[in-house]
This record gives sequence, C-alpha cells and structure tokens, in this order.
Amino acid sequence: MKKFLKIVGWILLALFNAFSVWGALFLFQKGFYELSVTFFVLIVLIDYFIFNRKSYPFRYMIPAMILLFILVLYPIIFTIKTAFTNYGTGHIMTRQEVVDRLLTDPVYTYVPKDAKEYKYEVFVRFDGIEPTEDFKLLVITQNGEEYVMGDIKSVRMQAGQMLLGEADLEDVSTYDLIREDGKIIAIIEDGKTYNYFYSPEDPDTALNEVFFKSKIGFPILSKVEIIDLEGNRLSMRFSDDGTLRLKSIRHLYRLSLAEVIEKGKNVIKTVLVNDITNKPLLEENGTFYDFDESGEKVPIMGYISYVGSTNFVKIFTDPTISGPFTKIFLWNFTYAALSVLFTFAIGLSFALVLNNSALKGRSVYRTLLIIPWAIPAFISVLIWRNGFFNETYGIINKFIVNGILNKESIQWMTNPFWAKVAVLVVNTWLGFPYMMTVSLGALQSIPDELYEAASIDGASRYQSFWKITFPLLMTTVAPLLVGSFAFNFNNFVNIYLLTGGGPAIPNTSTPAGATDILISYTYKLAFEAGRGQDFGFASAISILIFFIVAGISFVNFRISGSFEEVNR
Amino acid sequence: MKKLLVALLMVVMIVSAFAVKITIWTSEAQAPILTQLADEFKSIYGIDVEVVQVNFGDIKSKFLTAAPAGEGADIIVGAHDWVGELVANGLLEPIPVLPDKEQYLPTPIKAFTFNGQLYGIPYAFDGPALVYNKDYVEEPPKTFDELIELAKQIQEEYEGEVRGLVYDFKNFYFSSFAIFGYGGYVFGEKDGKINVKDIGLANEGAIKGLSLIKRLVDEGILESGDNYNVMDGLFKDGQAAMIINGPWAVTGWRQAGIDFGIAPIPQLEPGVDPKPFFGAQGFMVNAKSPNKLYAIEFLTKFIATKDIMYRIYLADPRVPSRKDLLPLVDDVTKAFAEFLGNYGLPMPNVPEMAGVWGAMGDALSKALDQGVPVEQALKEAVNTILATIK
Repeated sequence: MKKFLKIVGWILLALFNAFSVWGALFLFQKGFYELSVTFFVLIVLIDYFIFNRKSYPFRYMIPAMILLFILVLYPIIFTIKTAFTNYGTGHIMTRQEVVDRLLTDPVYTYVPKDAKEYKYEVFVRFDGIEPTEDFKLLVITQNGEEYVMGDIKSVRMQAGQMLLGEADLEDVSTYDLIREDGKIIAIIEDGKTYNYFYSPEDPDTALNEVFFKSKIGFPILSKVEIIDLEGNRLSMRFSDDGTLRLKSIRHLYRLSLAEVIEKGKNVIKTVLVNDITNKPLLEENGTFYDFDESGEKVPIMGYISYVGSTNFVKIFTDPTISGPFTKIFLWNFTYAALSVLFTFAIGLSFALVLNNSALKGRSVYRTLLIIPWAIPAFISVLIWRNGFFNETYGIINKFIVNGILNKESIQWMTNPFWAKVAVLVVNTWLGFPYMMTVSLGALQSIPDELYEAASIDGASRYQSFWKITFPLLMTTVAPLLVGSFAFNFNNFVNIYLLTGGGPAIPNTSTPAGATDILISYTYKLAFEAGRGQDFGFASAISILIFFIVAGISFVNFRISGSFEEVNR
Repeated sequence: MKKLLVALLMVVMIVSAFAVKITIWTSEAQAPILTQLADEFKSIYGIDVEVVQVNFGDIKSKFLTAAPAGEGADIIVGAHDWVGELVANGLLEPIPVLPDKEQYLPTPIKAFTFNGQLYGIPYAFDGPALVYNKDYVEEPPKTFDELIELAKQIQEEYEGEVRGLVYDFKNFYFSSFAIFGYGGYVFGEKDGKINVKDIGLANEGAIKGLSLIKRLVDEGILESGDNYNVMDGLFKDGQAAMIINGPWAVTGWRQAGIDFGIAPIPQLEPGVDPKPFFGAQGFMVNAKSPNKLYAIEFLTKFIATKDIMYRIYLADPRVPSRKDLLPLVDDVTKAFAEFLGNYGLPMPNVPEMAGVWGAMGDALSKALDQGVPVEQALKEAVNTILATIK
C-alpha cells in the first residue's frame, strides 16, 4: 500500500513537472520571458526540495513559495523591466509586430490610380444540395483571359489562424471545364465538380452573396493576395456598393536598403519605405513616422522600446515633478505620521476602556467600534465626502457649523488646511479599529501580577500605565506602527476618493494639489496627464517610492528598537 | 439550374453553423437588444455573434489589455473619446464605407473621425441641455441675464427652499458651454488635423466664458457645495428649478415624478450661442481581430440600417445620430437632439485630452472657489497641460 502511494506520488510529480515545463515553454514562446523564467526557477527549486534529503523541511514551504514567486517576485521583476521602457499609450506592441503589421496588414495597402479591376466568378462544390466551403475562384482579366486561383500559401499567422496568404494564378486549361453557351458553369478537379455559384456582376447570383461573403469571402479570400502573371497583387476590397471586388493593390510600406544617418555616420540599413513617396520612414523614440505632402512627420505606429534611464532622469529633471516634490513629500510624511499617531492614540484609549472588566456590555461596544473597519472604504469615504464634508449640504457645515455654532461654512474641499484636516479625520476613522484590536490583544498578554505589585508599591493609575502598560505594549505594537506608517504613506484610496488630491494650488503649473501624496500625484502624472497611460514612468516612480518607504521604515525600526527582542 | 441553386441556398443558410464567431463587448444598457439582434443576424448570415456584457467603465481598459495580445472583442461599443488612444495604440480598424453616410448628423460622425478616417459607427450621442421643473418655470429663459433674474426670483419666492439653478459647475464637461460659446477651444485644428500644441483655453473667449460662470457664483446662484449628486438629488426632490444635465438622467426624473421640460442652454448674451461638449456612442472594430471583415459587415450592412438603429433607440433611448430617426423619437429626446445637434461640440478624441480634464478642473476650482483671478487660473491650466504633453 505504501509503495503504491509512493508510485502515485511520483506519477503526480512527473505530471506536475511535465505540465510546468510545458507552461514555461508556452509562455516563452508567447514572449512572456520573465514569467517563463520565474516558472523555470520555481520548478527547479521544487524538484530540488523534493529530491534532496537535506532540504527536506523546505518542502513544506512550497505552497508559500509558489505564491511568493508569482504574486511578489514576478511583479517586481516586471515593474523594474517596465521602468526602463516607454510602455504606455502609443507603445504597447513589440517592434517586430509593428513592422509585421505595416508590411502585411490590409489597412496599409492602397489601390493605385492605374489599378486594374478583375472580374471573378466563384465555383463551389455541393454536398448533395448544400453548397460547401470548398471553392474555386475563376479570375477573368480585362482582356478576357481566364485563370483559376491556385493553392493558398500562408504568409502570416496569428494564434493558428491565417492573417495573410498568397496564391498564384493557374491557366484555366489545366482543369476540365463544362461550358454552356461559351460560359464556364463548372470546373472539375480530381473528380470533384465545382459549380458556378456567385459573381458580383451577375444579379442572378445576388442571393448567394451572403453565403459567399460569410463562408468564403471573409474568412479566406479577404486574407489572400493573388499574384497575377505580371506580378500584380490582387486582393478583395469592399466597393462602394458593399460587394467585394478583386482589385490590384500595392503595399504602402516595403522593406528596402537605404542610407540613413545614425550617430553622425551614414549607414546602410534595412528600412521601411513608403511606396508612394519613396521616402524611408523615420524611426524615433520608439515610433515610426511617415511624412505628409508638406514634409511634416506623421506618427504611424509606436512600439515598446528600451529607453534606458530616461524615466528616472525625468523624475529628477522635469520641473512638473521635481518642483512640487519637496512639498508633497513633507505633507506625505506628515499625513502618514499623524495618521499613525491619531489612530494609535484613539485605538489605545478605546482598548484601555474595553479592557476594563468592570465595563458592562463590552462585546457590544467592541463590535460597534470595529464597524468602521468592516465597511469597505470605497463606500464610507464617499459618504464622508458627500454627506459630511459637502460645503453647502454636508451635515458638519449645515447642522454644526452653521446651525449650532452659527459660524460661516468651513471650506472643507477648497481650503488647503481644512482639506488636510478632512483627510486626516477620515483616515483616523478608518484606521482606529485596527489599532484598537491590536492593542486589546497586547493588553491581555500583560500579566495582572505586575499591576498588583505596582498598587502595593503605591503606584498611581497614571504611573502604572506609563511604567508598565505602555512599555510592555510597545514591544508588541511598535513593529505594527512602523507597518502602519508604511501603509499610510501609500494610502492612495483615501486621498483619491476623498479629495482627489485637491484643492489645486494657485500659482503653480503642475497638477499637484494640496492633499496629494506621492502615490496619488504619481497616478495623476502617469495616467491623467499627457497622453493617458504611461506605465514606464509610473513604474520608475513606484520604484523610487519603494526606496523612500523602505528607507523610512528602516530608520523607524532602528529608532523604535523593534525586533530587538527577536534578534537577541 | 442556377435558379434551383438559389432556391436551395435559402434553406441551407439557416441550417449551416460555422466556427467563426464575432464577440461584442457592451454595457448593460445595450446588451439585451444586441443579443436579440445577434440572433437575427445569425439567422441571415449564419455567423455567431456573442454579446458580452462588460461594465462601461471597464470596456476600454479591458480592451487595451486584451487586444494587443490578439484577444479581446471583435467589436466594442463605447464612447468616441476613446478613439484617439486606441488608434495611437494601433487597435482600431477604420470603417471603409458607411452606407447612407449623409443620413447621419455631421457632428457624431466627426466625433468618430480621427486623422481623416472614420473609426466607429455612431448610434447615439448625448450632452447637457437646460432642464427645468415646470412647477417653477413656465417659460425657459432665452438669455443668461434672463436666467439669472429668474433664478434669483425663484430663490426669493421660496425663501431659499428651492434653488434657481444648480449644476456640476466645477466640472469642465458641464461648464464648457460658456468657454466655447465665447470662442475658447481645447485644441486648435488645421486642415482637419488637431494641433495639440495650440490650446485655446486661456484666450479671450475662454476668460469671458469662465467669468460668466463666476458671475453665477458671485450672484449667489451657484453654491460651492454643488456637484452632480447634489444637483440630481435636489432636482428629483423638486428643490431645484433648473439644472444642466444630459439625457442619461431622464429615467430618474420620470421615476421621481418631476414634470420637466428640456430647453437649450440660454444664449450667453444676445446673439452668442452656448456650445456644450457632447459625447457620441458607437461601435468600433478591433484592428487585430482575425474576423474584422465580418465585424465590418455586421456593422455596416446590419446595425447601421435605419430599422435596426431605431430598435436600438427603443431599447436604449438616447439621442440617435441618424437624422431620419429624429422624427420618430419622443419630445424629450428631440429637444436634446436639436440643441446638441446644432450647437454641440464633440469632445476632442485625441489621447492628449487625458491631461485636460484634471487641469481644467483645477482651474475652475481655483477661479470659482478660491478667488484666483479667472485669467490666471486659466493660464496656469494651459501651462500645466503644455508641460505634460511631450
């Protein structure tokens, strides 16, 4: 029995390995190199843990490790990689893909002025009385010569589907034909008969147009370029009446050797050339540019390119970023520090009250006090914003400030100071239940004997709090305070939903607002400015923010002496 | 022989099934009718059309993620101001031929046109007009002076219990009518091409326009706490006489039992018409879809016809963008159509619009709330936009 289980185990492991290796290869093939490497490393590690006796205990960490690799390490690698690219609006495809599309996509073809239009007739094989998708295409040139389209060779594929194919013309006399009044009504090949079915010029077959288009025209013929004997390329294009016509086309861009200036030197290189103007395309900042009649450059398509440290340099040199940086950083620090202070002070006060066994109905209070934590911030922040802080209709202004105090309305959302107060109030409200819960747990671990001894020695309540409770509490809570600081430092949701970073600061030309913290300002710059999305830049700033938060947290840990207990 | 084939084919078309499938991503308002239309299309063409309901706000971002990888819908139903960003990313296929193009109002067509090419088929458009509660307003005002007077009169008469005019005035979208009416513009246009370096949001007209809004604030008609939710709530509770809002909210007013009328936003001063922003909704085709010709056929031959557009209108009553449907729609829709069709400006569809909303929102808040001079606030906004457009 034991042996049997072992065999099953090996089989499962083999299957797992096979599947993972296949997955990694698949990802590699698809171009997700980082994810693929992550997978490979993971497989090797897992196998090592299982086969090596010494690393036996590590095997219990495998589930955690899988999560660590996929949810933590991979995103970090990806962020770092993205920070060195221009990934964003206008740059979301690889260069290879862009070149491919410029060379083959029907959008980048044109019908020249001296274009020829060929007549065509479609012949299909019938299965009993039903037409099938097996067809022959008869092409009739302008001087009446008749040809049949040969086999289609695939030129460009995407996910197993043909995107572009090519076919030659074959002389019609190589086929057996059935003619009626000189007109071909059937083509016979290898004993299969193809009957006349559709021609856009023939009104009698107009009813067959739908079948032709949906089964033959769109899926096959529209993606095929037929090369005639003179080398012209023919392709199906929509005409103004919505039928498909066979026209001679040319590709707008072709590859060609050209002399270009690169780093001050003349180099001969393969470049894309516009077929009409015969001018090579300009490739600059990860974008292909063409030139219009007046010689002005027109962007055609961009691709993801490595831009080195451009994004990082931009952070330090761009005045829209470096200008308000100090101001935002100081407020960001204050915001995080005060949030921790207020939430901890209030949370601890409630915890002390709830910890008193003389208090009746403690569990009811405790439940009620945890509610702010339980309601999703998305909902409660919006209620605060619209229901409490609205200048005209908010409860605070309407009933308390105007009503009871009989004072002028407080400009919660438009005065920088009050906006900051509002942000802190809401963040404190959202955060204190966490601190309360944590403190409650820590308080219960403080032995009662200490208080007994203190009261025998004649310590007052105040003294026993500061000499016993607080120091013992801090040993467990201090690391959590540092964590809470790091969390609040990047507390995007609260700021974004409550003030959106506003109010705007007069006399500046940056999108920075008075309550903006680094992460919300980054969001504005990367996703609500310029051309929309700029992932490369956003990644660069988030790396920078990581170092800032890591640095502050390190200093905090040192100062607070957290983990000292653990290290000893 | 030939006739026989034709007759047989009719039977065949209904029976045949085919592997190719067009996928449409659309929001909940159009999903039911499109599902129904998809079935009809299949019975004619034998092509499966799958309608997937996606939250309106998620369609663009999902499409931007999926489409570059060769996945994603073949057709998306969305707003015209996505076009610039999607085209810049190489994800939209131009519509080569739109049948009965002359039957469409020119502005929604222009909204979906980018660099001279049509990238979507508009089925509807919407934007703000003046909405008034007939209990308080008998005759809608014709000019802003009249509007201010009427609003004050109502406020006095009801001792502040009813507001004369409320709207989301710190939102650039809703306040743009004044800025553009006096000659402000977002991006300059030359030979049909948008020049993003030429920003007309701090010119004389823009200053004049924003000053008009400031006058509404100074005269105590607009309050600093006003926003979209406040406006909507007050109007539904019958506590607002006039608001500026769009046709998307009509159902809400009807359900609240408000007797409302639609009128053009009043002339800014005699002879100067307001020019509000409007957005068009339409069908766009994924450039990386292997089925794009099917998709184009589905749209141009089937969806873009008058009958189908009318059925979409009935299911999702927005202002239709086909002229020949306007005589068939209800009075409210017609009122919006006449005002927006004549005076509306489509929001620019270039990706550079991303930075305009925030910067102009800041400018409006500075000028209307914080007492910064109008001219300065607008200049700062223009500088902000220019600084972030590279």
